[in-house]
Amino acid sequence: MSPKTENRILATPIVLFLLVMLGFPAVLDILYSFSEVSFENLRSPTLNGGKNFIKVVNDPEFWAASWFSLKFGVATALSECILGLVLAVYLAPIIRKNNWMIAVLIMPMIIAPAMMGLMYRLVLHEFVGSLPHYLYLWLGDSPAFLSRENVFLTVFTIETLQWTPFAFLLIYMAYEAIPSEMREAASVDGTRPWRMFWFIEVPQMAPTLAVAFFIRFIDGFRVFDNIFVLTGAGAGGSTTSLSIYIYLSFFRSGDIGKALAASVILFCVAFVILFFAGRLLRRDRA
Amino acid sequence: MRKSNKYLATAAAALLAVLPSLASAEVTVLGWPGGPEEVALRAAAKLYNSNADVSEDNKVKLIFFSRDGFYDKLQADLAAGTDAFDANLLATYSIGRYAPYLKPVTLSDNAAEVFGDAVLKTMQFEGQQFGVPTDLSLHFLYYRTDLIQELLEDASQHDKYGDISEEYLGVRLSPKDPDNWSWQDFAANALYFTKSVNSDSPTRYGTVLQLKNLLFNMMVFHSLPRAYGADWMDADGNITVDSEAFREALGLFKILVDAGATPKDSFSYEYAEANAAFGAGQVAAMMQWNAAAADLMDAKKTPVTATVTATIAPPTGPEGRFTHVHGLGLGVNASGKNVAGAEAFVQWMSTSEAATTYALNGGAPGLSAEVVAGIASERPDLVPLGQFASNYGFVMTGGTSAKALSVYELQAKEFTGFLSGGQSLDEALAKTATGMAELLK
Amino acid sequence: MKNKYKDLPRWIVFAIAAFVMNFPVISTLSTALKTNAEISRDPGLWVHAPTLNNFAVVLQVTERLNIFSYLHNSLVASLIGSILPILVCFPMAYAVARRGYGTDVIFPTVVNLRAMPLIIFAIPLYMMYQTVGLLDTRLGLGLILAVVNLPLALLLLINAINDVPYELDEAARMDGARIFTILVKVVFPICLPTLATVFIFSFITAWNEFLFGLMLTTSEAVPMTVGASFFFSSGGGGGQWGVAAAVIIVASLPPVVLGVLMYKHISRSMTAGAVKG
Repeated sequence: MSPKTENRILATPIVLFLLVMLGFPAVLDILYSFSEVSFENLRSPTLNGGKNFIKVVNDPEFWAASWFSLKFGVATALSECILGLVLAVYLAPIIRKNNWMIAVLIMPMIIAPAMMGLMYRLVLHEFVGSLPHYLYLWLGDSPAFLSRENVFLTVFTIETLQWTPFAFLLIYMAYEAIPSEMREAASVDGTRPWRMFWFIEVPQMAPTLAVAFFIRFIDGFRVFDNIFVLTGAGAGGSTTSLSIYIYLSFFRSGDIGKALAASVILFCVAFVILFFAGRLLRRDRA
Repeated sequence: MRKSNKYLATAAAALLAVLPSLASAEVTVLGWPGGPEEVALRAAAKLYNSNADVSEDNKVKLIFFSRDGFYDKLQADLAAGTDAFDANLLATYSIGRYAPYLKPVTLSDNAAEVFGDAVLKTMQFEGQQFGVPTDLSLHFLYYRTDLIQELLEDASQHDKYGDISEEYLGVRLSPKDPDNWSWQDFAANALYFTKSVNSDSPTRYGTVLQLKNLLFNMMVFHSLPRAYGADWMDADGNITVDSEAFREALGLFKILVDAGATPKDSFSYEYAEANAAFGAGQVAAMMQWNAAAADLMDAKKTPVTATVTATIAPPTGPEGRFTHVHGLGLGVNASGKNVAGAEAFVQWMSTSEAATTYALNGGAPGLSAEVVAGIASERPDLVPLGQFASNYGFVMTGGTSAKALSVYELQAKEFTGFLSGGQSLDEALAKTATGMAELLK
Repeated sequence: MKNKYKDLPRWIVFAIAAFVMNFPVISTLSTALKTNAEISRDPGLWVHAPTLNNFAVVLQVTERLNIFSYLHNSLVASLIGSILPILVCFPMAYAVARRGYGTDVIFPTVVNLRAMPLIIFAIPLYMMYQTVGLLDTRLGLGLILAVVNLPLALLLLINAINDVPYELDEAARMDGARIFTILVKVVFPICLPTLATVFIFSFITAWNEFLFGLMLTTSEAVPMTVGASFFFSSGGGGGQWGVAAAVIIVASLPPVVLGVLMYKHISRSMTAGAVKG
């Protein structure tokens, strides 16, 4: 069997699965994105050329939502990876002896984000929430967590607290997988702990750090559940992520063509970025 | 272009060809989940099923979705031509959107005597009856009798009350009985009972406004601009949102928000949060749905304030006293498996027997004076409900159109944008007007 | 003794991190154990008069609410949604990692799915499911959950195979082993820890998914997340926070238990296969 045939066979299961599940939906979605379509005429959309795309590109809210998502994705991914790295490396000596600690630390990410949003609705409520209760008790005042000024910081903190465990777990596993000979060799050479960390351990964990950052960025970028439950689109649309924008256009405004045009744009942009990333990766290898 | 359209239609038709529907053994009815409406509907369905002349094939089976995303799912179901249910929940503001998938219904002969024409109208779209009304939703002013009483009796405070209203609202007002409140009085009272305005206030906030960017919150808001004569559009179909009435109303809310008369996180508040704030005893008065009365006046569920809470119709304005009103009801899904059975059930629901059963089991139907008189001892709260609906109830022009929900959605976004300081009043109203013109054309 | 002192700062950091990150869970648990009266009087963490009433309400099977059926639906759908991605992604991951195959189209397409709000497929999927009879079935729900999990599975598996020493499958190849034998006999066993990780993450994601569960089920296959929201009456109404909190706890328990149990498995297989390269 030639490697080419082999490759094709290796790719068959996933390609087939995707075609079966998303083939028809994708084709219909693309058609819809070029059509005048709402819930009333799902079965008889009329093509309108690229009007939906023009509408999306000219919609300042689309850009505001994209900016929110980008900002949110980068900020949360960065803070989660840094916190995860610090926790993983600093706590590694005691976790090694007490595995149960991992279970405690990864608990938040096991909770459904929608449920987490619901919990915070309760926790942050000025009159029935425990956090404002203690703040009033101890400090005599409690901030407006979800006001226009503070809401970004609040949802950023919520997302970070829930998903730092993800970065932590991946990084901890990579940290523990660093061959012990490598550390021993380095310490025999008299390498100091900080140098060891920066020049030996971090490079060893680099691929994992990259994957953790990448996954967290994507998840942060498309954030939906927890923000939607907590503040919805936010006052005047101040917490509208791209996913919320698309969801609202789709279901609430019933402007299906516009929602799908926005999705198609999102898909294409992401695709181009990943395409070139893939190219780079391959050149690297070669 | 035409050609591709044809292909698309053929492809869609081929893919969507519904399997030959099997003879169904029952009538599936989708109701509003989780609240008193569900309990009431269960009782009614039980009575219906026990009727000897209802054949086995036409017994009613109830199903319910999740409340979260209820309308989004319902819309997807109906648009895709579901046959998972034969009759489903309807609301006044969504009739226009769902009408294409529903079959108009014929109600019982004496439906008009049971409900009255005004209530039947909440289930009509373009002159046709699309459902039987079950519950009425409108707004009450909830207030703390103990606090207001004390204020009315303590003349030493009246100067302060006047000073505060003069400073914030530009008019000197004195405390009044809530039944005689104008919206100015409502605002003055809210300011007086706010700690950041009046450090002696027994409550932290004078009121609680539901300002989450959510379409239902706009319904709560609308009673205020309506009292100043607001409407969505005039008789010629021109959008009239950029009006003095909306300016007055939004301006008044803005004063309350800026003065801190509503909780800090109000921009994330909806129904439940507002109830929790009121129930914690830190709010003097608020506008809220009538459905909250059951919980807020039950000492078990709201131990702190239930005994000192009273309800009344919303305050009045230059153009009168108004409350937003909409009906919930049941309509017939045109692609259901047992349309005839569903029609029979919906028709029965409009009989006096069904409506009374529904009311006695916790529902909140809008009943005519004669019918409600018969159950007034068991459900005294239904008497003012019917009165308020007929005396003060209004529906904005265009409020039942296919795009009504989208209009509420748009206003929620722009108005909260203004109230939270994200844009000017002119900007918000201009954007709303443009958007509404597009939606309601 | 001296050793303990040395680790003390670490323990403090751990305690703080654990408390802060789990704060909403702790607070919700406290709410679930309170009576309605106590919730509105004292929102603090301490429970003065613990009650299991809220849990009793949740666990009671009624004509309409059957938490055990929701749990069952979620379990089946999540298992499909977590095992299927591993099966279809594993061969592809090998092709990508070892040969750079598919990095132009297939890999970006799949990974892109994670960046998309997948709900845009809801309406067409609904129509498709309606036609083939998958609507309101556990299989139907499981299949779409599998799609949701594809990107993460592929990414993690590629990463894992990259870590497998190339010499191992080269050697097997020299011995005349065919590609599938290499995959199953050489690469698969080494990747087991990652496979377990993928399984856990996928299972949790599948369990926690809400929107597809809402859209594609009506009564027979309602998953736990959607069922949980059945318990929240009128968005709280002022009196229901206790029950809501209890149902959140019950709904979250299965994935939490899985995470705790499977973690031990991961760490064991990791230490076993730790020496490499």
